[in-house]
Amino acid sequence: MKELNLNPIEIHLDSNHKIFALSYGKVPLSYLVMLIKAGSEKDPKGKEGLTDLWAEGLTLGTKKKSLEELIFEVEKLGGYLEGSAGWDFSLLLISGLEEKLDNLLKILSEIFCEPDFPFQEIEKAKERRLSNLLQLKDDPSKMADRLIWNMAMEGTPYAHPISGSLSSIRNITLEDIRHFHNKIYPKQHSTFFILSKEVKTELLEKAKDTFLNLITNKKEEKESPTTPPTPQSRILIIDRPDLTQSEIRIAFSSLPRKDNRYHILKLMNYLLGGGGFSSRLMERVRSQKGYTYSIRSSFASLKTCGTLIISTFTPTNNTYATFEEILSTIEDFTKQGPTEKELEEAKRFFEKSFTLRIETPRQLLNEIILQETYDLKFQNLFDEIEKIKKINIEEIKSIAQEILQKQRMQVLIIGNSQHFVKNFETFGNLQLMPYKDVSP
Amino acid sequence: MRELLNFRRYILDNGLKVLILEDHRLPILSYQVHVKAGSRFERPGITGISHLFEHMMFRGTSRLGPEEFSKIIQSRGGIVNAFTTQDHTTYWENVPSDQLELVIELEAHRLKELKLDEESFYTEREVVRSERKMRISTTPYGAALEELFSLAYLRHPYRWPIIGWDSDLRNLSLKDCEEYFRLHYAPNNMVIAICGDVAPEKALDLICKHYGDLTPQKCFHKIEPEPPQRGERRSVFKKPVELEAIFWAYHVPGIDSDDIFPLLGICECLSGGRSSRFWQKFVRPGKATEVRLVADPPPFWPKDPGLLILYAIEKPGIPLSSLEKEIEEEISLFKEKGPAENELEKIKNRLKASFLRSLESLFFRGLVGGIYEIKLDGFEKSWEILERYESLKAEDMIQVAEKYLHEDNRTCIIVKSISIEENTKFGLIE
Repeated sequence: MKELNLNPIEIHLDSNHKIFALSYGKVPLSYLVMLIKAGSEKDPKGKEGLTDLWAEGLTLGTKKKSLEELIFEVEKLGGYLEGSAGWDFSLLLISGLEEKLDNLLKILSEIFCEPDFPFQEIEKAKERRLSNLLQLKDDPSKMADRLIWNMAMEGTPYAHPISGSLSSIRNITLEDIRHFHNKIYPKQHSTFFILSKEVKTELLEKAKDTFLNLITNKKEEKESPTTPPTPQSRILIIDRPDLTQSEIRIAFSSLPRKDNRYHILKLMNYLLGGGGFSSRLMERVRSQKGYTYSIRSSFASLKTCGTLIISTFTPTNNTYATFEEILSTIEDFTKQGPTEKELEEAKRFFEKSFTLRIETPRQLLNEIILQETYDLKFQNLFDEIEKIKKINIEEIKSIAQEILQKQRMQVLIIGNSQHFVKNFETFGNLQLMPYKDVSP
Repeated sequence: MRELLNFRRYILDNGLKVLILEDHRLPILSYQVHVKAGSRFERPGITGISHLFEHMMFRGTSRLGPEEFSKIIQSRGGIVNAFTTQDHTTYWENVPSDQLELVIELEAHRLKELKLDEESFYTEREVVRSERKMRISTTPYGAALEELFSLAYLRHPYRWPIIGWDSDLRNLSLKDCEEYFRLHYAPNNMVIAICGDVAPEKALDLICKHYGDLTPQKCFHKIEPEPPQRGERRSVFKKPVELEAIFWAYHVPGIDSDDIFPLLGICECLSGGRSSRFWQKFVRPGKATEVRLVADPPPFWPKDPGLLILYAIEKPGIPLSSLEKEIEEEISLFKEKGPAENELEKIKNRLKASFLRSLESLFFRGLVGGIYEIKLDGFEKSWEILERYESLKAEDMIQVAEKYLHEDNRTCIIVKSISIEENTKFGLIE
């Protein structure tokens, strides 16, 4: 941290609210973010997408300004306004030219203190979301990502798309949004971030005044811990005869964010499929076999559970061969683990690329938001590198064996099934459905 | 602004241009090799070769195995990749600054000792065909966009896709690659840009040491100019889609024209952000799922006259024909009155903020310098970008709208939805 000269200012206003400010970057731009530690996992059943729509709703007008006036004011300042939800957090982000920072702060304050949630605009926003879902259905890759997530997370509060589905969006009412704003959101922890080329003391004082207005004294609800179910292996093949290439996704249950082996999982994922050409999957499936342009593994570690997903695509005739090659790569990896050389190179990547990964204010902001969401200290960003340096082969093998279990994998394939469906029959628990029956 | 793009330029005896920009804020740098080798330099029969060759540059050298180049960079904490456009191919590494010598040595090494063998070539050709399917065949409108370009251009090489026609990819040979390499990968056809925590004199010494012995070549390539369009071209593209769409393409000048800035202003006014006219008029009330007028901002704006693309994705229940008519009305309104005063201020601020946001990364700053140098022989032109945005005038925007956004200069593709069964009669999209 000293090498990078990062000197954040943290002001704790009470036990639930704080301000985090940091001078960062070389370009005269500023980022203001209100982070609320409640995300899409709080969506009620049948009304999935509510948190995300609430966050967007904040940007659809205030008691003083219509949507048109509000957005025009922000964009006239060279600004950008976004309200959105993640799985375990929601945020309102406003960014723009540093010289307009005062105005941006005033707008943010108005949005939170005097939101309006105008009925007409909420209804239009719902309509836009429904159209966007139809648009999404035209893209088999995006549909595959969406469907595998639901399969992987089945039985958890995360088993739905953040933006909602065709049926759930229709069920959300203005009352639901107002209830969320008045009853759910005030009970959450929140942090106000300021990242700018230069954070002046007077701005910090103004931010403090603004933020104090938003604090309520309502007590946080205690969350009851949930235990994610252990899924059985299954294969879902979705038939689209017009495709010349299949989308393949394979998902496994993984660790929640607070598991103390998170850093081992991170390194294991890099070695398996997260590290581009330095990963096993890329080496075998692309470089050696030429089956695909891209194959990767990625993981999501959330508050109560996690998942690791392998994603690729391949010309229809290679579908089964690609699937087999992935399984064979996983088997070799879990049995033998990485080589000494692979492990050392991966560790060095994480250590040496750290600065590159936080080069811009937006990159650093994304990292800090995740730390804050899971109650980790800023310093953890740096401590994690030290932890990664100590990992050994046995630890990687052990976590790979725990997560990459064939008998628990969820498989999704979208493609011209007549060319490969027979090959998958031996795996059992196979379901085949036409693409037209899939609802986004 | 100038300090963010104030490169020093050096030219080696063999014609290699080197741009170096010092910024010691963080101990990192971006190293980029820009080559005048893009789909613009291809011909029918070998379309896609620039991009395929970019892949081959990672397939090994006399001492490195396939993809070992990338693995070495990553093992030193770097990120490595490359991309091909219509006008150039760019190879880049973002690395900790203590790895500068390594990247210089490795990049020069692969230029001198690239290993091109049959096995690697055929494997990589299939990888590229898979990439083509990902970008064109399986995306909702990729194939329609491909057709839009080939309809809008009759002669100029921008008429074929950067990734190439599948029929050409299937027939490309190793010999084609060797010939392409020989013709285009010469030091006098390249620009190296280094941006970040670098000592210029030391970097230049290293470049002279590793690139100094490359031999220059005569790189001549005649580009067929596109004749003026003499009336609207219109076509229908049928495929199974949930949402039908309209694509319009207007011919516009290349990056050396002053008109590109008012054109970007028009794009911003009509479809930049949620306060834009198209969003407020079509997307907000649910008349369309998406309506946008887009162009690649500098430095990505094409070298030769390019296309300004308008696309509109339908909202079910609203006929495309009425949407098309209303979009035309919006464009006419703009031509008549231009942007209002406060709208103009918004356009300027948004364009400036967007460009500044990009300049937060050393990588992008390297791209601006390197690509301006390779397209216009002078990175200094990039210093004007913010100033140009700041001095946008309503009357200039009206004038360029009248000049380019008219029916005779337009090519149009309508994407019509058909059933899977109907689709079989057309065959699969490769």
